[in-house]
Amino acid sequence: MHLTAEEEKLLASGTPAEQLSMRILTTLGDVYGADRLLPIASAHVSGVSLKTLGQPGLEFLEGFAATAKVRVRTTVNPMGMDPDRWRELGIPPEVAAAQERIADAYRAMGCEPTFSCTPYLIGNRPNRGEHLAWAESSAVVFANAVIGARTNREGGPSALAAAVAGRTPNYGLHVDEKRQATHAFDVRVPMRGYRWSLLGLHIGGIVGDGVPYLRGITATEADLKWFGAALASAGSVGMFHIEGLTPEWRDANADDLSATRISENDLLETRDRYTTDAEPDAIGLGSPQLSADELRQVAALLEKHRPRPRVYVFTSRTARAEAADAAKRIEALGHLVLVDTCLEVAPMERWATATATPSGKGAVYLPTLCGQKVVLDDLEELLRRFG
Amino acid sequence: MRFLGRRIVGGTAEGSVLAAETPLSLLGGVDAITGTVQDPESPIRGERLAGRILAVPHAKGSTVGSYVLYGLRTRGCAPRAIVAASADTILAVGAVLADVPMVDGIPVDLLRTGDRMAVDAGAGVVAAPDLVEREVVASFLEREGRILVVRRSEKVGSFRGKWSGISGFLEGSDPEAHARREVEEETGITDLRPIARGPVVRSRGTDTAVYAIHPFRFEAPRGDVRLDWENVEYRWLPPHELESLDAVPKLVAAYRATLTP
Repeated sequence: MHLTAEEEKLLASGTPAEQLSMRILTTLGDVYGADRLLPIASAHVSGVSLKTLGQPGLEFLEGFAATAKVRVRTTVNPMGMDPDRWRELGIPPEVAAAQERIADAYRAMGCEPTFSCTPYLIGNRPNRGEHLAWAESSAVVFANAVIGARTNREGGPSALAAAVAGRTPNYGLHVDEKRQATHAFDVRVPMRGYRWSLLGLHIGGIVGDGVPYLRGITATEADLKWFGAALASAGSVGMFHIEGLTPEWRDANADDLSATRISENDLLETRDRYTTDAEPDAIGLGSPQLSADELRQVAALLEKHRPRPRVYVFTSRTARAEAADAAKRIEALGHLVLVDTCLEVAPMERWATATATPSGKGAVYLPTLCGQKVVLDDLEELLRRFG
Repeated sequence: MRFLGRRIVGGTAEGSVLAAETPLSLLGGVDAITGTVQDPESPIRGERLAGRILAVPHAKGSTVGSYVLYGLRTRGCAPRAIVAASADTILAVGAVLADVPMVDGIPVDLLRTGDRMAVDAGAGVVAAPDLVEREVVASFLEREGRILVVRRSEKVGSFRGKWSGISGFLEGSDPEAHARREVEEETGITDLRPIARGPVVRSRGTDTAVYAIHPFRFEAPRGDVRLDWENVEYRWLPPHELESLDAVPKLVAAYRATLTP
């Protein structure tokens, strides 16, 4: 891989953290056949919750932070608790302390303490064509497909290395050809609400690490957040196209692909694969974290239906501030609006054994990360069923 | 035997192999303090990584698994080296963070736990001094869309009772000529028309032998099969039925190799 003089210097005589970051990036570049490093506009780092990072990760970060400063705007993923409310929610002090040490290490490196899986909703919205190094698969797929920025599905360590070096190796979804469609789908069913999650789970299970191209539908950005998150959870997907809608559909080169038709039955079978008949003791909303608009919609629905199980609503600090009234109304009904954390990295296992959710991503990760049985259905339907 | 792979992280190491044929999850699959494999689905569950040369196809699972290797290194519990079939982000970054020599492009399915190994990762060279390569020819005879397989007798030296193509250790320097001789000896069939010769397929024996199989496919339009002492039974099978046989290792892989010459 070719390195510029400045990059050679960073590798040879940067701080220990800079040298290590450059070693990570050049190693990955060699592994994946990159010709050079690309300057990035921003980074988004995962591996923030104690649950996913673990003790070794905490130890690494604290040592690394001593000589690391991010060179580009860097946002970070949710942590494992709402830092203002951990006592109230029964999180042991030693767990909370370890979690705070992780957050402090990222702050010390100059990361913005966003603790959000939706950086694109809260001010870290890239421009079309910009190169990024983002971890958090749901944000990666949104940045690539909906915005037209370019990032691979980075891991926590590689995104952090890219943030410190300000660069990422040029391969994969940074390259035009790798963004072209590999599978085409003809969607002949009405799309709304949580059905976007079902469609994402279904197609993600088919395409693996491919790039799906969808015909026959249109969508809002909010729809595509849920679709992309489910898609990236069920498969190793980092990019998709929707004909006539997403910014790069004309370059997708999908004309020669034979299209698979999506039927109502496909969506029903997908739901049946992920749902159980458990009686939920919690309803979990927000994987990815809810937007301000979604908080307002949820407040109105909860006032209308009054579900029995407690509703755990996960959002960003920014969205909660923007929809402060909706958040207050949700809490006034006895439910919780938690910030800086998310449905799978929060300790749902402390609060419930079965969680109902309309989130496809939640349905994938709640069983493994939180030991939950999952009931997957449309939100209003869930509120009615368990009202 | 020596294998030439690709340097991921430089350095040298010697030791004993810990080999798994399935991908390894580092986060959750390996105890972060002791380095003991705890993934219930892993064939090396209960084994410790410390001081071993870890041989895996690649890693799987969470990308923060890289930090687990770093943590093991700080506790003195890291593997001495890693050899992989194909490097992935988790293993490669983990090897960088832990400064563990790593090579990929190595056929780890030929390695077994306990093999001695020397790794020169900078040169991409992996030496397994106990492994001995033995060249074998294997022929698949085709008649009316069916493939001839034979069941090995109790008198042969290896894989007794297993189904195989017509095979034998290579003698001389011409694999095709030797393959024809083996077919004549073991089946009596002489009218053989070459269809394809596949690339060499390697397979680990039960001991330290690595069989380098030269696969051939011949059309055999006529002639009754007359078995010699090496085999006790034969069948002409449609190709898809090869997979369900109690067969010698890599039978299907060797047959498939003749389909893509």
